[in-house]
Amino acid sequence: MLLPFTFAVFTLQYLTLALPSDFSKRHVDFSEFQGLTKNARDRTRQNDPAGKYFHEATFATHYDGRFASTKLAYTPRRTHLRSLVRTYLDTMHSLHIPTWLMHGSLIGWYWNGKILPWDDDIDVQISEPSMAFLAAYYNMTVYHFTVKIPPEAAGDELDEAGRDYLLEINPNWTNNSTLDLHNVIDARWIDMTTGLFIDITTLRYNQSSEDTAEGQKLFCKDKHTYMSKSVFPLRESEYEGKPVKVPYSYAELLEEEYGKKVMTRTRWEGHYFNEELREWVIDGLP
Amino acid sequence: MPYRGLDTRLPTRPLVDFIPDDSLHVDDEDAAFYAKDDDYLIHPHWKAMIQRISNRIPRRIKRYSFVYLGLLVLLFIGWKMHFGPKLSLHRQEIAEMEDTSKAAYGINVRPHFKDMVYIKSMDEKHLPKGNKRLIAVGDVHGCKEELEQLLKEVEFNEAHDHLILTGDIVAKGPDSAGVVSLAQKYGASCVRGNHEDKLLLSIAETSERKASLPGPTDNDPKNSDFLDEESHSHGADDYTLRKLAKQFSAEQITWLKELPVILKVERIPLMGEVLVVHAGLVADVPLDQQDPFQVMNMRTIDLKTRMPSEERKFTEWEKYWNHQQKKKAETERQTVIYGHDAKRGKNIKKFTKGLDSNCVRGGHLTALIIDSEGKTTVTQVKCTGYVE
Repeated sequence: MLLPFTFAVFTLQYLTLALPSDFSKRHVDFSEFQGLTKNARDRTRQNDPAGKYFHEATFATHYDGRFASTKLAYTPRRTHLRSLVRTYLDTMHSLHIPTWLMHGSLIGWYWNGKILPWDDDIDVQISEPSMAFLAAYYNMTVYHFTVKIPPEAAGDELDEAGRDYLLEINPNWTNNSTLDLHNVIDARWIDMTTGLFIDITTLRYNQSSEDTAEGQKLFCKDKHTYMSKSVFPLRESEYEGKPVKVPYSYAELLEEEYGKKVMTRTRWEGHYFNEELREWVIDGLP
Repeated sequence: MPYRGLDTRLPTRPLVDFIPDDSLHVDDEDAAFYAKDDDYLIHPHWKAMIQRISNRIPRRIKRYSFVYLGLLVLLFIGWKMHFGPKLSLHRQEIAEMEDTSKAAYGINVRPHFKDMVYIKSMDEKHLPKGNKRLIAVGDVHGCKEELEQLLKEVEFNEAHDHLILTGDIVAKGPDSAGVVSLAQKYGASCVRGNHEDKLLLSIAETSERKASLPGPTDNDPKNSDFLDEESHSHGADDYTLRKLAKQFSAEQITWLKELPVILKVERIPLMGEVLVVHAGLVADVPLDQQDPFQVMNMRTIDLKTRMPSEERKFTEWEKYWNHQQKKKAETERQTVIYGHDAKRGKNIKKFTKGLDSNCVRGGHLTALIIDSEGKTTVTQVKCTGYVE
């Protein structure tokens, strides 16, 4: 259902060359997406702190205000989020970029290899060399997919013929410091139709740490830390029907972050795990 | 001189002389001086009886009564501090093992992994019948010489014996490739241990990296600093792993890839259905629902959630396994043969047979011999020790 991507590399490269400085405008703001967005006006939050690269929408934090003006309802959000993940994993697979799940997405994978229905963001990580590679060759590339949206999920203007996804790299990804508080997200995979996006973070080596029995220390700019032995070597599995990597000691990482109950409790956030359907179902539904 | 009719003259004799007699005289040299006054709280009858009994207790014993009291106090403290909590812990464990409402591990859809064989059945022709035997050996870790010595010791005969290895046949020791060759030569059955798992994942990662595409320009990222060996290394451990990987032939790696996480051996008398895994299994969770990572890594189980763990802080998984098997009908029982836990060493229980006795660190290499009647015997050889 997802055609192999036919991507158009935009000639926006000159923009990536612009270095962040106090007087430069946002690298790729709303005006630059004319013809690529259905939005009539920019819904990007305007009062973000100086130096912050990615801006969320005025109406919700998990949407890109350049491409959407409203939040999605429960069912369409799930459908679009699923397409978002599938197109992302497809693209990374074609580019030979290993990308693995963390946090909420890893919980969803553990239970049934799918997105948790109440989760509105997807957490993926990539390695430093991968990010360097994407930043050098694939920043601001747009990928066109044919996505079949079931009628109940599609809005009036959502086009099932084709959808564009944008891979945008935060130029501040090269800043290795967790003090760079406004740029903890290194890249985003953005649905240019709904404004939904996936946050991509780089798993970095802590250069000052020694090699221990647990391997080396790793961290992300969002201040999560890991030991290399629990992440690598990665395992290959599937998420939403697409190839994905998961950390070596997935159960241990989940337990460390959320406790054992995250793998045993069958009721969360108004949903329960239906063993027959092998799905999380809203409470009250059969 | 009289005063109001009284004679106020001083007496001519000391006052004491006026006391009629000296019945109040007490001599402190008399034993009675120190005697306790009888307060009559205990009936004289009883008193006499106590007296009689205590007279019968030898003096020596009376003298040591303090020591006995001390011992009693020690016993009491010991009970309070050690045996009491141990007993209550045991009782609590039993109660938790009996409680079925909490069984929660294994409800999720079992994670699926690429290139991992989950379950396999041993060929029926290897089942111990007549003079045929099954020889199960714990974690070999590349100790080829010890394995050969052990096989000689048990008089292993390819013609009618079948060798089963509980995983972790590679890594740490001197000749991992040699052990794989030997296993292949004897047509041995083996399961995927955590070391085979890590090795195979590392090999897959490396080969994937080599296959990765160059970028859209002529600048080949394979040769650039993005994807060189150095920047992809995950530390010294990763380096050791990649060095180990180079020892194997392609055909050996294919053989290793085929190793299942769980090996099902058919029913054997006395043992029930025999299962071979590297680390362990959670009782009463269907085989199909056991998390492969846990099967290759578990040591204990948290009885509250039935979640297994690599750590040692919970109850030993085999304790729960044995407890549950005893309750089952004989036809339902299952015995697990496993390795992995070198620290606890050889650990033979009715329904669990732990065979890792730390060979690579200079312990023993252990073999469990199963004959056609399901009788088991254990044979060990001493190992040289190759790692600290």
